[in-house]
Amino acid sequence: MSRKGIYLLVAFCLWLWIMGGSRAALTAHSPVVDYYELKIPDSLPPPVYDFKKNPLTKQGIALGRHLFYDPKLSLDSSISCGFCHQQFAAFGHFDHAISHGVLGRTGNRSVPTLFNLIWQKDFMWDGGVNHLDIQPLTPITDENEMGMDLKALIDRLQGNQTYKQLFKEAYGSEEVTTERMFKALSQFMATMISFESKYDSVMRREPGVTFTAEEQGGYRTFTQKCASCHKPPLFTDNTLRNNGLPYLPSMNDVGRMRITNNTADYLKFKVPSLRNVLVSSPYMHDGRFFDIFQVFDMYDHGQEKGNTIDPLVKNGIPLNEKEKRQLYMFLNTLTDRKFISNKAFSEILITD
Amino acid sequence: MKRLILLILLFTYTGTTAQQVQVEISHVVGALPMQLKTTTYHNAAGDTFNITLFRYYLSNFLLTDATGKTVSADKAYFLVSEDSAASKQLLLQQFPAGKYTQLSFMIGVDSVLNFSGPQSGSLDPVYGMFWTWNSGYIMAKLEGYSPSSRLPNHMIQFHIGGYRAPHVTQRMVTLLLAKPLEISAGNTPKIRLQADAATWFNGDYKVSFRQIPGFMSPGMPADRIADNYQHMFTVQAIVN
Repeated sequence: MSRKGIYLLVAFCLWLWIMGGSRAALTAHSPVVDYYELKIPDSLPPPVYDFKKNPLTKQGIALGRHLFYDPKLSLDSSISCGFCHQQFAAFGHFDHAISHGVLGRTGNRSVPTLFNLIWQKDFMWDGGVNHLDIQPLTPITDENEMGMDLKALIDRLQGNQTYKQLFKEAYGSEEVTTERMFKALSQFMATMISFESKYDSVMRREPGVTFTAEEQGGYRTFTQKCASCHKPPLFTDNTLRNNGLPYLPSMNDVGRMRITNNTADYLKFKVPSLRNVLVSSPYMHDGRFFDIFQVFDMYDHGQEKGNTIDPLVKNGIPLNEKEKRQLYMFLNTLTDRKFISNKAFSEILITD
Repeated sequence: MKRLILLILLFTYTGTTAQQVQVEISHVVGALPMQLKTTTYHNAAGDTFNITLFRYYLSNFLLTDATGKTVSADKAYFLVSEDSAASKQLLLQQFPAGKYTQLSFMIGVDSVLNFSGPQSGSLDPVYGMFWTWNSGYIMAKLEGYSPSSRLPNHMIQFHIGGYRAPHVTQRMVTLLLAKPLEISAGNTPKIRLQADAATWFNGDYKVSFRQIPGFMSPGMPADRIADNYQHMFTVQAIVN
């Protein structure tokens, strides 16, 4: 046999060995998962969330949904994430000004809505949490919310038969870890996408869908007076601002300043999205307004103009009665009925 | 795929042997050995106090030789805690053979890992070294009691963290080695370090527990205490 023939034979054997190894690695160590493709309209900016570090799978999303609706994530197994984040209220807390939690305790801020989170780079009313994967750590461990110790929670889930199965399906082994748990929750929350409102249909020029004259008038007012902060298509620019909401001594909430220790951030809070706004009352970081017309009135004549008030609203936003009515009609077109009734996000009853 | 990587590694093998270095850390408070709960210490401001918890991250270990050439250990994050003997024995991996005259490392966790979501291993948030309400690692933690403290139960609580300008608390430490550390094949040399917790309160920024019984967010006092504890380490011995 020639030398060349030997080289070829050796190369062929090596190739077989490498390929054999790759196939064995795939089947022996990787779970059999079904990758899930998130459908995002083309008109949107690319998400902030890095899916390369947490690729969506049907099994991961299913595990995340189970965790989201499981009261075992709280100290006395009474409060799940879904307890405060209700689907029909766009995952805000219907009719509750202030979040509440285990043992009858009360927090000090309003429950934020949950959707389009993969475009958000920080979380909470003061932007203090910097990654979607780490966000649930706050409500889970906060003594006024779910009141759970993280280590105790990991142990509790590890001892549960259902979770052994769900973690195995999602990750290939039964092991429960902080990272796996949080990434599964992110997978479920990443699928909460809301771009199916009447507004979206009008913008996409879908046949037969148009604004009424009142809605069109409201859209004009919105574009002139609201859109620089509540910027379409997300209806927020994800900044933190002081909108002139009067300070309440009984709450003593300094907003962003608590995070940065910088007096320039006094009373600054996150600009919330206006999508689904009419189904997610009450409003403001402390839920003080139960009616959207109170919010209009605050901008029209109810601001407190302190040092840190945002330049864009420091002169107020004058709104007459007709503008308020039309604005209400326009905001109504931002309600995404498909989102708030989508069966893929609905509550599952967990009793074990 | 793993086999392919192994093959590539074999073919690119240059003959430089990569060795381990053992770092042993002991804790003192001024002239006294650290003993949790039972020993009473004094700070420069005249407060008496004890310590119930002393814990910090070390990372980014580097060695420098006499010519100024620097080599780094494998990326690793060590959570050192007074209550765990094992945590005070650090095994640094993958140093090339050589004679080194300087040891450097970071007290804390690199900025990027403070905003990359939950990590595993020693960086897992289960160890209570990650802030929940204001994301980011607690680089170092010291808790105890002092009669001077006006906090409930007279506790003192210092959780030092912050990775965003202007409140950045990671600190690089550089220690000169009195005799060179010799790394060669089949030998794991040892460096004995001592960390003095008294430096937290007695450095350029004097802490009186009457005025500051604790600090648990990013901010100026945290920055200054990190400046203080940047000087807490000394080299006790090199065992080649």
